[in-house]
Order: sequence, then structure tokens, then C-alpha cells
Amino acid sequence: MVLRNTFLFALSLSSVLAQPPDPAYQPLEHAYRALRDKSYDLAIASFDQAIGLSPNRASIRNDLAYTLLKVGENEAARDQFAEAMRLDPADVHVALEYAFLCYETRQQVQARRIFDRIRKTGEEPLRDTAEQAFQNTAEQAFQNIDQPLAAGIARWLKALDVSPDNFSAHQELATLAEQRDQLELAAEHYERAWKLKPGERSLMLDLGRVWSMLGRSEDAIYILLAASRGGQPRVAERARELLPDRYPYPYEFQKSLEIDPNNFELRREYAYLLLAMGKQGEAERQFETLHQADPNDLLTSAQLGFLILNRQDPAGAQPLLDQVLNGADEELADRARVALKLPQTLRNRLGSAQQTSQEAKSLGERSMQAGYLKDALKYLTIAQENDPVDFSVMLKLGWVYNILHDDHDSMKWFKLASQSPDSSISDEAKKAYHNLAAQFALFRTTVWIYPFFSTRWHDVFGYGQVKTELRLGRLPIRPYLSMRLDGDVKGNIGPTAGSLNPQYLSESSFIFAVGAATLPWRGITGWFEAGESVNYLPNRTDEGAMIPDYRGGISGAKGFGHLMNSSKGFYFETNDDMVFVSRFQDDLLFYSQNRGGYTFAPTEGFGGFQSQLYWNVNATGDRLRQYWANYGETGPGLRFRFSDLPKSLLFSVNFLRGAYFVNLDNPRRPNFFDLRIGLWYAFTR
Amino acid sequence: LAFAALGIAASVQAASLQRTSFNYYIAGDDPGPWPQVLSAIGLTRAVGGPANLIVIRQVAPGSVAQWIQRIEQGSIVVLEGHSDLAAALGFKPGTKRVVVHSIVDQRAPKLSIVWETPLEIPVFDLPKDASVLAAERWENAPVMAALRRGSGAVLWIAAPPGKEGYERFPYLLQALFDLGVKPPFRSQRLWAFFDGAYRSRVDLDYFAERWRKAGISALHVAGWHYYESTPESDAYLQRLIEACHRNAILVYVWLELPHVSEKFWDDHPEWREKTAILQDAQLDWRKLMNLSNPECAAAVSAGVKQLVSRFDWDGVNLAELYFESLEGAANPARFTPMNQDVRDEFHGLNGFDPIELFQSPNPAPAHLRTFLDYRADLARRQQEKWIGEIESVRAGKPDLDFVLTHVDDRFDTRMRDLIGADASRVLPLLDQHDFTFLIEDPATIWNLGPERYPQIAARYQPLTQHTDHLAIDINIVERYQDVYPTKQQTGTELFQLVHVAAQAFPRVTLYFENSILTADLPLLACAAATVDKAEQNGSRLIVDSRHGVGVSWQGPAFVNGHLWPVRNDATLWLPAGTNIIEPAPKDSGLRIVDFNGELGSANASSQGLQFSYQSNARALAVLNARPSKIEVDGTLDGEKLPESGASFVLSLPRGQHVVLLTP
Repeated sequence: MVLRNTFLFALSLSSVLAQPPDPAYQPLEHAYRALRDKSYDLAIASFDQAIGLSPNRASIRNDLAYTLLKVGENEAARDQFAEAMRLDPADVHVALEYAFLCYETRQQVQARRIFDRIRKTGEEPLRDTAEQAFQNTAEQAFQNIDQPLAAGIARWLKALDVSPDNFSAHQELATLAEQRDQLELAAEHYERAWKLKPGERSLMLDLGRVWSMLGRSEDAIYILLAASRGGQPRVAERARELLPDRYPYPYEFQKSLEIDPNNFELRREYAYLLLAMGKQGEAERQFETLHQADPNDLLTSAQLGFLILNRQDPAGAQPLLDQVLNGADEELADRARVALKLPQTLRNRLGSAQQTSQEAKSLGERSMQAGYLKDALKYLTIAQENDPVDFSVMLKLGWVYNILHDDHDSMKWFKLASQSPDSSISDEAKKAYHNLAAQFALFRTTVWIYPFFSTRWHDVFGYGQVKTELRLGRLPIRPYLSMRLDGDVKGNIGPTAGSLNPQYLSESSFIFAVGAATLPWRGITGWFEAGESVNYLPNRTDEGAMIPDYRGGISGAKGFGHLMNSSKGFYFETNDDMVFVSRFQDDLLFYSQNRGGYTFAPTEGFGGFQSQLYWNVNATGDRLRQYWANYGETGPGLRFRFSDLPKSLLFSVNFLRGAYFVNLDNPRRPNFFDLRIGLWYAFTR
Repeated sequence: LAFAALGIAASVQAASLQRTSFNYYIAGDDPGPWPQVLSAIGLTRAVGGPANLIVIRQVAPGSVAQWIQRIEQGSIVVLEGHSDLAAALGFKPGTKRVVVHSIVDQRAPKLSIVWETPLEIPVFDLPKDASVLAAERWENAPVMAALRRGSGAVLWIAAPPGKEGYERFPYLLQALFDLGVKPPFRSQRLWAFFDGAYRSRVDLDYFAERWRKAGISALHVAGWHYYESTPESDAYLQRLIEACHRNAILVYVWLELPHVSEKFWDDHPEWREKTAILQDAQLDWRKLMNLSNPECAAAVSAGVKQLVSRFDWDGVNLAELYFESLEGAANPARFTPMNQDVRDEFHGLNGFDPIELFQSPNPAPAHLRTFLDYRADLARRQQEKWIGEIESVRAGKPDLDFVLTHVDDRFDTRMRDLIGADASRVLPLLDQHDFTFLIEDPATIWNLGPERYPQIAARYQPLTQHTDHLAIDINIVERYQDVYPTKQQTGTELFQLVHVAAQAFPRVTLYFENSILTADLPLLACAAATVDKAEQNGSRLIVDSRHGVGVSWQGPAFVNGHLWPVRNDATLWLPAGTNIIEPAPKDSGLRIVDFNGELGSANASSQGLQFSYQSNARALAVLNARPSKIEVDGTLDGEKLPESGASFVLSLPRGQHVVLLTP
């Protein structure tokens, strides 16, 4: 007996221990106690807590729903029954409760559908009499909803026979038809009602909703888009709820305007969208339509005037801009004055958006000047968002992106700024745009030359290249054709102590080649080319008139601080190359040229003279340890440019003290001085 | 003796005004809409006196530290948008901006709150311990937030509340209430329409208590659900009436003739009203019967009498007895009456069938005029007939009150032609019959502001000498007009409507009980209270009110020098007129904790509790203890008092009476 009891105890204990503890036990205890005391608010809070702990127990939701019914929260109770039904779809009783509450809370369509579903389960074998009772209830409830709907539809159809243009009959009929899931009929009569009273914009919501249920999703979007712009703000907000969570496509605006051609706000937004897309012509047509619809709308007149002015038709723009100048909108009038190059007027107070724009613009400019480019970008973006038609901000955004090496965005802003009515802005933007656009063209030709005079050699050297590269989409490699010049004026310096042959100071060649280069990555580029070197000195004897030439390498350039063309301040820049050259016995050469110094601000006059004073530290080495390729040099330098001259034309004067690191076979002194005076010029087409 | 005096002093100290907020102060030159907003729940603007609710519209330079100190010492401060003070408290505008079209208020997250005029505002950074009460709908930028500092609090809103005070933040007043602003006055005189179909499964005792707390003194219960007797519906109505009576709420039967009942419509297709396209007149939920038909009228009369006699009603409300619809003759599909009895009578009088007006492509305007005049006269005749019917029922139930609900046609003068309503023809009936004329706010003007109520009242006062029998019905429903910020009146807008209406009319009725949002219930009774004067001088308070009012008060009190026995734990109930209230050292044993009649006077003495009252229906008094003896006008009343929890409900006769209760 003891043994048996012990066994039973162990069994029950194990069974108890095997049960996972009910996480919702405690709040449920509180809930039921509160329910007994009719403390419904407390019971609801405890049920909510229990649901949080056991979210998948339908029974808790049922009990919560019944408690909510006690305090008249029928919608909340309905939602709990809906969730309980989702958790336990086989529970017909819960489904019935849900359906009845749908009916009571003005969701008749849903109620009718649920009752219909339950009553139709009678076509399957029944489990018990309770189920039969549920079906009977559902059948009765369904008929109670459906029969009046059917009768109402018949009644209003008959009313329309008598009076086909009776607005309220169409609306009533459509409402009843929608509740009875006769969606085609509902759509037809919502549409007819709306045609009779286009001002009843809530009908657009009805129509959009029904079209959506009918699978006419695109039509639904068009009409909801129309409803969401202009008109009654409440309807617009409700339409916005029903629209997809994305900005509409341009064609959707077009279709919406076909449905609702007099929707001024919709058309204006579409016109601005076209402007943002760079479709000035189409935008102008939309603004023209807007202007015809409301000739007194100053914003439309101003925008239309700017567009006409922008296509060099000042006479066409003048009446519109005159209207703006004479209008009551001072901000708009000032923009018109800018466009017409008239002085602005003083105003007492700027509007909030305009004020924000001005403040942000000022901060952006100061950040730009100080070299804080990320801050500049942030402030200029704010300025542009608050005043989308400030072209000077667009231009600055172009430059900031350009300096940040984001040429795609840079071009976008330059292009927008190029539409400025202010020629100083548009000219600069156009020029910048074209400069950048070249790198995105299929063929891009770059030319650079670097002639300089060296006092050490009393010679003028000339280096240069003409290179046309092919842009292959987003491929990181660009093939190219190249012609290099590597020569000097003197040609040779005659035999030296170490050699009886004349010493040539350059390759004295044009090198024609086919090559490929990688896209720059953090200023580093790889390249390789194969070609033929053509000697332009007919008497040169150390190599043939035409020799194969293979060369390639990795080159990198990086600048820090206040570089040329920016504001004053310290800077540092480095150019580093590793080059393989076949004609130098397949040698591999290393160059490192470094300059650090101070950039001065451009002068107001003197052609916009800007200069840099710096110190050079250069080093060259090679794989084969040849004396001429292993030396270091250092010394001061001066570089300058004029803003009136092309941007990439630079003049330089460098005074260097050098020393060879390898003097074996060096026919000269191991140390040297050299004064180099040169210019650098490059352009791209 | 010294100890006794100390004890008395202590109890005098304890008995006092609750921590209420009588006065508010507005810092800044322009008060904006704040007086309208705050007066809607009975707060008055401080004139040099103390105020613990402060709206700071302009922050004087250098005053930030002082304001923060006041908040920490217990003031409740309202701030609008950006200011030095707001920034010092942590409400700082960011660089991002948002255009606000609509907002979501945490109090009612599913409620659509749309601003008629969108407003661009900065997105504000909030202090970490602030609670966001409302946010812009799409970007979730905060637009209303609460912050507690020390023993005070701050309510911050991102923009001013709008010209009328409710255009942007409907639940401003509820937010202030939650932060500790306690309105000083309450009223329990509201009526409300009630439809049991929406409350079929509620706990009626719970609701009756809730209605009473919301200031409701009578429910007008949709009678058509109980026109035919069924065990379930009869039992439900019985429970409803009992629960209401236990909570001092009267229950009226609300009739919507010519709608009788669903079953009556089904059983008598031969008596159905017709529209001008000769269809049965089932318009919206109403299924209209032809009361011009003598047989139909007789059947309905018998049914109504039976309905009134079957239940313990306190009154009858005969509502909207005229014709359809608000579109008038412009919509024949909704135009009534066009039954054969009406057509025959009209033809006999005027020589043409009125249906021709709707079947002819070009009806003569004069003919339509004739018919519309006939129709308005028919409506008046029917009203007079049915008033007579109700009066005959009253003969057997002398405590029964009577209300005639009639749409306004003085402010919106189109009503006579649209639905046949003509108040000028009905109001003279007040000279012969004792009833309340309940003016229904017509749907066509639901979009107008609260100032329409004084205008409506002014239009009716010349029409009758019985202005004390006028009442107004406010429809709290989703309005068909393009209205903002909410489709249905709620929050500040609702409180303003109720408050202004209560100032203009002796009685305010709400349509309907089920549509009043839960968020509005705590302040509804405060909005319904009207006080002409309230002066606080130390522990002494002078209150002048036209219809009586409840004052927030704890402990015993003298009113006009007499120990006052009409109060519960939180409220002292005062009669109409000027009353001086002072703390009292001791309480009366027997008290009236709730009363739904119009109190005349009251006094507690060692002999008992004596009071006088006036009531158009029976009066219900809830007592804190069972009296040993009840005398009404000197006659012993042997009624057994039903218990209501710890209280006892005394039912008293209609009219003007004096009652003496002996402990």
C-alpha cells in the first residue's frame, strides 16, 4: 500500500512537474476576481496582461471580449473576437459573436459574409445539434441582413427608373449594393452619383474602394490619387490611407488628371514633378493649363513666367512676372525680381520656410568655406528643401558633391542650377555640368601637357598625352587609345665621361598605344597599355625609329586640406606611381612626389590670382637600381593660377636640391640643384 | 474644552473646497482662444487673484527661471510651440519640418483628427521624461506632450489651438484634467436619448452609475423596440429602468411616430406611408406608417397606451412627428406624405391630386406651395392629436412628464417646407398643455459653432411665455458636412457646445448616449454646469447659478448659514440663486447624496432633514441612510425605500413639494 501510494504520488508529482507553468495564471486570477467584483476596468487590464503573456489562447480573448461588452466597448470586443476566430477557426460560436458585433459596429459587409459562411457549412455533415443551432442562427441573421438589402436595392432601382438623375437614389443604391457584395452595381452607381455631384469627393473614396475590391487596382489608384490632392482635407487624408505607401508615378498623375481634370492641386503637383524630372516643356504645358484655370494664382503665374523666361522668351514671361510683382505675395515677387534682375524689396518678416532656407544657406556657405563639407551638404540640403527654387543653393550643392567626388549627384544639381534665370549662376552651372558630363560620355578624350624648363639641363622638356577612353556602362575598366609625347628640345647632351655615346634626356618619342585603365578607387588607378614608340629624332641611334612599347602601373593621387581652387589654408598632396616600362629593360620605376604648404586666397583683381607656396619632397627608385632612376630631391616651390584663365592651367616654379642614391655608372656629381619652371594644362572633352 | 476646540478647528480645516482650479491666467497680450477653451469646463479668468493654471503665450525676457520655479511649486502651465521657456524645459525645434494635415491622439488612436488648414511646424525634440499625447499622423512628429516637473506640470502643444480653440487639439481639456486641473462645478441636469439596440449586452448597473457621473438626469429610451411585448425585451427594459432609478436617473419613453415598430410595419403593409414615387416609405432606419388613416391611428394609439402602461416610465417624449425629408420636394423618392388618405383629403380641399406635382414635368409653383402649406398644417394637426393622446395617458399616471421634440425651424427657416415642421403653430399649445418643447438642432446646421444656441434661444423666446419649458437637443453624431477636426463633436468642441447651450436653455439633451465618446464622459458634467458668478474668499465661496449646480467640496458645509444636507463625498449640491458656502464643523447624519429634481431649499437640524423641490416628473432622492419617517407636504409617506448599494432611493411626486425626513 505504501509502495502504491508512493508510486501514485510520484506519478502525480511527475505529471505536475511535466506541466509547463501557465504564464498567464496570475493575471487571469486577478481578471476573474475583478470580474466577480464587477471591477471591469481592472479585469480588462488583467486580461490584457494575460494576453501579453499567452497571446495565442483564444479563450482569454473571448473572456476579454465578453468583459468589453459589459462596458459597452463593442468595437474592441469585436476585434478580440476576430482574433479569437483567427486563433480557432473551427469555433463557430466565436465566429457568430464576431459577426453579430460586426453588424452592431457598422461592419455589415463583414457580418453578412461571416453569417453566409457559417450557414453554408450546413451543406457539410453536422457534428452535433449545437452546430445545427449555430447554423440556424446564422441563416436567420444572414436573411435579416440580406433581405432588407435586396429589397432596398430593388426599391432604389425602381426609384431610378422614375428619376434617373436622382443623386441620393444612386448613392443609396450603391451603398446597399456594396453591403450586399454586388460590387459591379455599387461601382456603377457610385460613379453615377459622383458624376452628378463631382463636389461630393467622398464618393471618390467609395469608388476607389469598390474598384479595388473588383480588382481594378490601377483605376482605384488613379481616383484615390485625385481624391488625395486638393478638395476636402478629410477626404484627402482618407484617400492617402488607401493609397500605396509610395510616391505616385508620373503616369498615375496623368491618369488621375483624366479622371479629375479640374483638380488644381493635383495638376500643380504633377507640374512640379515634371520640373523635377527635367521635363520643362511638359511642365510648362501643365502650368499653362493651371494658369488658364486660375489666372489669379500667383504661384502658377510665377512658375510659368520663370519657365518661359528660361527658354529665352522675356516678352512672353513679362506679363506673368509683372502680375507676380504687382501681387500680394512679397516672397514670390522677390523671386520674380531676381529673375528679372531687379532689386529686391525690404520685408518685415520672412516666412518660416524661406527663413529656414536663408539660415541654412548661410550655414551651408560658411561650412563650405571652412571645408566642413558634410555640414555644408546638410545645411544646403535643408536650404534647398525649404526653398526648392533657389538656384544658387542648387549650384552650391553641385560643387559640394563635386568636391566629395559624388559626380552623379553633382551633375544633377549643376543641371538644375543651369536653369537659373540668373545668367551668372546658369553659366557656371552649365560649364561645370559639361565638365562633369564628359566623364559619363561614351567616349571621353583627355589631353594634358606639362612643358617645363630645367636650369640643370638648360633644356625644355615636354610631356603630354592625348587619351580617348571608352566608357562601358558600369564596368570598372575603361579601354583607351593613347598618344603620349615624351621629349625635349635639346635632344642630347653629347658623350660624357662615362659613355662615348650621346646622352638623351628624354625618350624623344610619340608613343601610340592601346590600353585599359581601372576606374579610380580612392584616388588610385591601375593601367596598362601596349603600343609602338615612334622616335621623332631621325639621328637617334640608341634605339630604333619604331619600337614596341609596353607600359603599365598603378598611380595614386591624394590631396588634403585647402587645395588649389578652394579657400585659403594649409594643404598637402601626394602623387605616387609604380610604372613598368618595357623599353627600359622591363624596369619597374617608383615615383613619389609630395608637396605640402599653404594655399592663398584668390585675389579680387589681377585676374583672380591664386597661389600656393609649398615644399617639395620627391623620391624616385627602380627595380634595376639604375643610377638615373634612384634619387631624391627637395626644395621650395610656388604654384599659381588665374581664375580668369582655364581652371586647370597651373604655373609652377620649383627650386630643388637633389641627390642620387645610386652613383655607380653616374657620370655626374651625386648632388644637384635644379630650377624648374613649367606649366600644367589639361582638359577633357 | 481646549481639546474639543482643537478638534473643531481641525474638522473645519478638513472641510473645504477640493483642490480645484477656479481661475486661470494667460501670460501674453493676446489671450487667443484660451478663454473659450477653458470656460467650456467652468474655469474663469483670474483678475489679480490666484491661479494655478497658466497659459504662457509670451515669455517675458529673463522670466524663464521664475516660470520653472512656479511649475515646480505646483502650477500647471500650457506652452505653445517654441519659446525660451519651452526650450529650457527641453521642447526644442529641430531642423526638420513637417506639414501637419492630421494627428493621432493617444486618447483615441482610431479617431480621425484632420486639420482643416495644414500647418508647417518644426519637428520638436522633447525632454526624455515627457509623454507624447498626440503626434502628426504620417511622420509621427510630436504635437502635444505632457511633462511633470516638481509638483506641477507642463502641457506643451506644437502650435496654438486654433481660432475657436478646438481646430487642432480636441483633447486639450482632457489632457489638462489628467495633469491635475480639476474643474470646480458640475451639473446633473442633462438628458440623453438612448437606444437599447446598442447596449443590449452591457452591465446596466455599471452604465447607470456612469451616466449619472456624466451628469445625466434622464434617459429617453427608444420605445419602438418594446412596442410589442416579448419576455426578453421586457425584462431588459425593466432592468434598465430599475438600474436608472437606483442612480436617480429618470426614464422616458421616446416615440418616433410615424415610425411605430418593425413588426407593425411588417404586419400592416396596407397602412404604410408612401413617398412621392409611390413607394413604401422606408427611409433610412425609419419605417413610416400612415397616421392619417383612422384605423392605423387607432391601432397605434392603443399600442402606445399599452407601451406606456406596461413599464414604470417617468415621461413620454413624442419626437419628430412631421414628414420627410431634409431634401424636401426636390427628392420625390424621399418626400412624404403621399398616402391615399392624404391625397384624397387634399384633393377634396384643393381640387387636384398632389401626386401630380411629382409626375408632371412642370408642376405649377403655386400648387406646390398649396400642398406644402397643407402638409405643414397636417403635421400640426397630427402633433395636436398625439399630444391629446399622451395627455389621456397622463390622466392615469399623474407623475408622467411629457416632452415634445421638434426640429428648429426658426433658425433654419427652410424646415417648414422641407419636412412640414412649424414651431410657431405648435408652441401656442404650451398654453393648454404642460410639456417641455425640446428643440432639435437641425442636421443642416450641425456644422455651425456653439454660438448658434443663444441665437436659436433668442428666436423662440418671443413665441412663448413658457421659456422655462424650452430645451435644446444637441446631436452628437458624425456630421454629413465637411467639418473639422473631427467628424463627430468631441473634446473641446463638444464641451463648448454643451456649455453654451446650457447657458442659453434651461435643459440640454444629448443625442445620443451611445455616441458620446468615452473620453468625453469625465468632463461632460462640468461642461453642462453654468454659473453666473463664483467668488472665492479664503474658505468662503459665493456661487450664483440659474439652475442649481454642484460645487467640488469635501466635508460638511453651511449654505447661507444653514447646515447643508445635500452633498456626497466630492460635491455639494446647491439650489438655483446666490449661495454662500462655508465649511461647517459637523455633519448632518442624514444626507441627500443625489437628487434629480430642482432643489428649492434644504436644512439639516436635530429634528431631521427638510427640503423643498420642484419637478416635472417624479423626483428621485438618494439618501445615505434610511429615514425612520417620511412626510411629503405634511403627509406621511409610507413608501418602502428600495436600497441602492449603501444608499436608499426615495421616489417623490411630480410638482412642487416640501419633504421632511426624520432620521
